[in-house]
Amino acid sequence: MEELILKLKEEIIEILNLEGMKPEDIDADAPLFGEGLGLDSIDALELIVLMEKSYGIKLKDPNQGKEIFKSIKVMAEYIAENRTK
Amino acid sequence: MNNIYINSIKQISAQQPLVEDWFEQPIFYSEPYIRAIEPDYKQFFTPNEVRRFGKILKRALLVARQVMAESGVALPDAIITGTGLGCIESTEIFLDKLVRDGEELLNPTHFMQSTHNTIGSLIAIDTKCHSYNSTYAHNGISFECALQDAFMQMKREDAINRVSTALVGAHDEMTPTYFNLLKKTPYFGKLNQAFAGETAVAMMLSTEKAEKTICKIEAVEKMYFGHETIDKFQSQISNLKISNPDYIMVGTNDKPETDNIYLENCAKLFPNIPLLQYKNIFGESYTAPALGVYVAAICLQRGVIPEHLKISGSEFQISDNSVNKILCYNHFDNKNHTFILLSR
Repeated sequence: MEELILKLKEEIIEILNLEGMKPEDIDADAPLFGEGLGLDSIDALELIVLMEKSYGIKLKDPNQGKEIFKSIKVMAEYIAENRTK
Repeated sequence: MNNIYINSIKQISAQQPLVEDWFEQPIFYSEPYIRAIEPDYKQFFTPNEVRRFGKILKRALLVARQVMAESGVALPDAIITGTGLGCIESTEIFLDKLVRDGEELLNPTHFMQSTHNTIGSLIAIDTKCHSYNSTYAHNGISFECALQDAFMQMKREDAINRVSTALVGAHDEMTPTYFNLLKKTPYFGKLNQAFAGETAVAMMLSTEKAEKTICKIEAVEKMYFGHETIDKFQSQISNLKISNPDYIMVGTNDKPETDNIYLENCAKLFPNIPLLQYKNIFGESYTAPALGVYVAAICLQRGVIPEHLKISGSEFQISDNSVNKILCYNHFDNKNHTFILLSR
């Protein structure tokens, strides 16, 4: 799981262009939206694309996103259970 | 008819951004391709804006905000943008990923920033300005089209939707991919040619003269030279309201086939009027003529022409002429010719 969390952090830093941030700067338990990383709805779309592109997970129900994108740790757990690649 | 003034003008380019350091201490380049010097955007934007906006959007928004603040116009009556290539960097990234992923997945951020009119719309969203908003994408005369639109609307005193203030911008990126493509064409790649550069210029036009007014726009003219003879074409130019400039700011870029057209037309139409250049320090791009207007405007404001704008080989002494009127002359492929006359 730790390995997946680290990979996820690196991918998020790259796709969201979080300049100057390193994986160790991101708290895996911190909220991704609002507080914490302060992501917004456009970032959520980028995360949906990331889930499909890297892990073969298609999110069909938008409400699922609210739960899955709570934190990096929650995301990683969901990916570990549902990934197809 | 209203008078039209440039009340503020700012640039981000190969010279120091947002300042007029190029006037006394220009940076000269010997490389064929130079990207713009970026300001420290963290001073001006939120972290989310810094990471999300592409280069061209950050540059455009920053110069727009600066001229709005300097001129005291929070809501212009029009936002008019000229761009040859639009948001080419985001477009390249978006298309590249689309091809790589088999056209199945779209990256929303780059997709949203991949149209030409993203620039004008972002400025409108940022300023909450719901007035006239238009973008011109016409290769090497994109800026002049935008300026002429503003000029014509502002000249009319009887217009129903009167435009008294207009934010006119000219923006272009030069990506490595696009530069390499242009190098394969005659457009770039000649030895000693002006470098391929990038442009971000914003200017606030107003029908009201202000304390900080930089200069007045006397005329904006565009002509297409198709199948006419050169004599007929030159006689048409001579009918335009662009007479008696003290200097002519031309877009020479050290490519003989381009430069000779300026030199021949100017020699015939404006004999003995000294020519000035700007691409030697600002480089070449589709909207570089906006930098020519910027340079001319600053020269008029200061009443001085710096020595490095003099075209090498010309015999005149800079100090011989007064600096009251400068004509900016640009041509694109010897087909589209544009003239912008500025005065103090």
